[in-house]
Amino acid sequence: MPIFTINWAIVSLALSSGMVLLLRDWRITIPAMLINYLSVAWFLAQQQFITPDLTIGELTLSTTIVVKVITGFAASAILGITAVTFSREYNLEDLDEFSLAELRRAARRAQRQRAGEPFRLADYVVPFWALVLAALASIALPRLYPIGSQTIDFAWYWLGLTGLFTIVLASDTLKTGLGLLLVVSSIDLVYTAIASTVQVFPLALLSLTTIVLSLSVAYLSGLMYGRLKTLDLSVLYKP
Amino acid sequence: MDGSRRSISVYCTNHDHAGRQCWRQLIPAGCMSYVLLITFPLALGASCFLLRHETRLVIGVAVAALIAHCALVILTPVDQPVRLLGLTLNLDPLGRLFLAGFPAVTALMILATWRLPHGEHFVSIALVIIGVASAMIVLLQEPLMVALLLVSAGLISVLAIVDLPSRASQLVEPRVIASALKYLVLMALAGALAYLGFVLINVYRPGITPDLIAPRLVLALIVAAFGLRMALVPFHSWLPDLVEDASPLVSAIIVVVLNTTGLLFLISVLQFFPTLVAENERGLALLTWLGAIAALVGALLALVQDRLRRIAGYLVVYNAGMILFGLATITPAGLMGAVFEAFNQMLAVPLLMVSLVLLEQPDGRPPKAMRRDLLWRWPVAGSGLLCSCAALIGLPPLSGFASKMLLYQVAAHYGAPMIALLIGATLLALLALARIARDWLIGAPEDQPVAEAQVLLGATELDMPSQRRLTSEPFIAAIVVLALLGISLAIGLYPQPLIETIAEVIRGLTFVRPDVVR
Repeated sequence: MPIFTINWAIVSLALSSGMVLLLRDWRITIPAMLINYLSVAWFLAQQQFITPDLTIGELTLSTTIVVKVITGFAASAILGITAVTFSREYNLEDLDEFSLAELRRAARRAQRQRAGEPFRLADYVVPFWALVLAALASIALPRLYPIGSQTIDFAWYWLGLTGLFTIVLASDTLKTGLGLLLVVSSIDLVYTAIASTVQVFPLALLSLTTIVLSLSVAYLSGLMYGRLKTLDLSVLYKP
Repeated sequence: MDGSRRSISVYCTNHDHAGRQCWRQLIPAGCMSYVLLITFPLALGASCFLLRHETRLVIGVAVAALIAHCALVILTPVDQPVRLLGLTLNLDPLGRLFLAGFPAVTALMILATWRLPHGEHFVSIALVIIGVASAMIVLLQEPLMVALLLVSAGLISVLAIVDLPSRASQLVEPRVIASALKYLVLMALAGALAYLGFVLINVYRPGITPDLIAPRLVLALIVAAFGLRMALVPFHSWLPDLVEDASPLVSAIIVVVLNTTGLLFLISVLQFFPTLVAENERGLALLTWLGAIAALVGALLALVQDRLRRIAGYLVVYNAGMILFGLATITPAGLMGAVFEAFNQMLAVPLLMVSLVLLEQPDGRPPKAMRRDLLWRWPVAGSGLLCSCAALIGLPPLSGFASKMLLYQVAAHYGAPMIALLIGATLLALLALARIARDWLIGAPEDQPVAEAQVLLGATELDMPSQRRLTSEPFIAAIVVLALLGISLAIGLYPQPLIETIAEVIRGLTFVRPDVVR
């Protein structure tokens, strides 16, 4: 790749996954995840690892790319709809008085926590340095452990590392899920780009796994919000 | 990466009599039984989900379906691979042994829930997991597919972990959600590591690809992935949490079906990628030691726990270490020991978990009371707990004895330190079992005879303390415990047919070394 040629697909991919790692608000991270999926599809379409078999206007691309775009939309929509509606409400008429009291107590606790939680720049220090570390590693690793071309290696290392750091640093369930989706996206990219034979079933199953993963995360998030009125992971470990 | 464009390969290689490709048949005749093996439990799982409020009906349907599935597995011919939509489907004898065992054991567990509390979706998820496990075993020659199916099955089981009984009046506990989340994250990561390993082995060309994509790296990725899947120390943390927080029957399904399928998958990976064995002599030698150490640490952790369920969880972790040891030796006896141990686990873990469910039932005493006399209170369940732990540890005459003897026999070839490690691990596990017996099972009954209080003047029947009614053990669950116990005992006393079946399969594996490398 010439030094002064900017690969906008890679830039978009790097920025969107960086935002998922750095930021906390789901209103930003879920759209960033969608942009990330679109960027991966754009990158794959641009590199044409797979013979194009579809023509849309002047655009020729592979069906695989379309499948990846649809998967990305589905996964982001599942998480987005969960975040908007939140809460799997219990059937209140089935609950006994102790459980109802516990729900009210959880709601009060979560309200207090939200009220006493102002914006603090300090919360972004560790994610920022994690982002720097991921960037350094993604530049160094393609030289130390080359698997495909430098561009491909940078892309999948970056996705994998930002995903891993997101999981490690996540403070809520939804963000943990986004980290997992980034890791799966990284594996998807490396398979599509470097595997000697790309078969349709592993690709289809990868898309299915992505959707099942987002469904599981959405279910757990809804369940947790319904029970504790918060997605904060620290609440799960309080005695 | 050569940079050239590739096409996606979707092809059907079934041929008609004239040798031409046969595109007309969507599902060729030979594939039918394989397709049924996969779709039958899935369809029944979906039906049970729709009927989930009719608990008894669902249990009846599921047990009947699992018996039918078991029969289908037995009738399916072995080692007759067919191609369907570009995928190779096959059922080898080892796969058939376990695939017949999974529905049988699951049917017993589902039967045990007849009078016991269980999650609303437990039965339907169990059937779906059996369907996915069948798909994995039939597709063992497609590692990329199996790695993803294993992840999907793990993700589906998350729903069972957080499940509550139908129309429950309680809320799900936060620590159950924490365990489910931990399981989800670790299983997704395990799947990603395994998938990456298979992609790398797929592009590996000796002398062409960079040396860094060496089988050593691939083996490391695969071991980490399977370590997470099978709860090997130090990747084990999810299992004790799961056993403690989730319903014991859900833990049993996960350990019995998914972890055992993981082991079969690992064996098939070594079979299909022999470079992993041939070029990793030192790595495998290291793994044998790691397996023995994992067993020792698992047993030690079991000994220091103060809760019954956690001890049970760590005993399974100890057993996973023993299985890894046997597998990593890559010798016929070691592999036989590992596979036999997995079979033993398939019997012992459901027995352990059903016994736990029975022992944790309200027994008419105050809920906070420390119960140390469970064997006297619930004799069948207490015996089930003792015997299942004994089977996991490998005490005679139960089913774990023969497999442990095989493993000790192999360890003896590695020298005194190795055998000392394994025997030390088993002794620690034995101490943990002794602790279970002392603290929960054979203690003095809390119900001491009390002198009859004098009836005061004017006292009525309402003033007298109510007479406590101690119910007996649920009949069907007790029968299930006795059945599992009987099977374990029968295999322990007469292991020869099982050993011969496993030995026959092991002889067919090309990566097995005839001797022990010290």
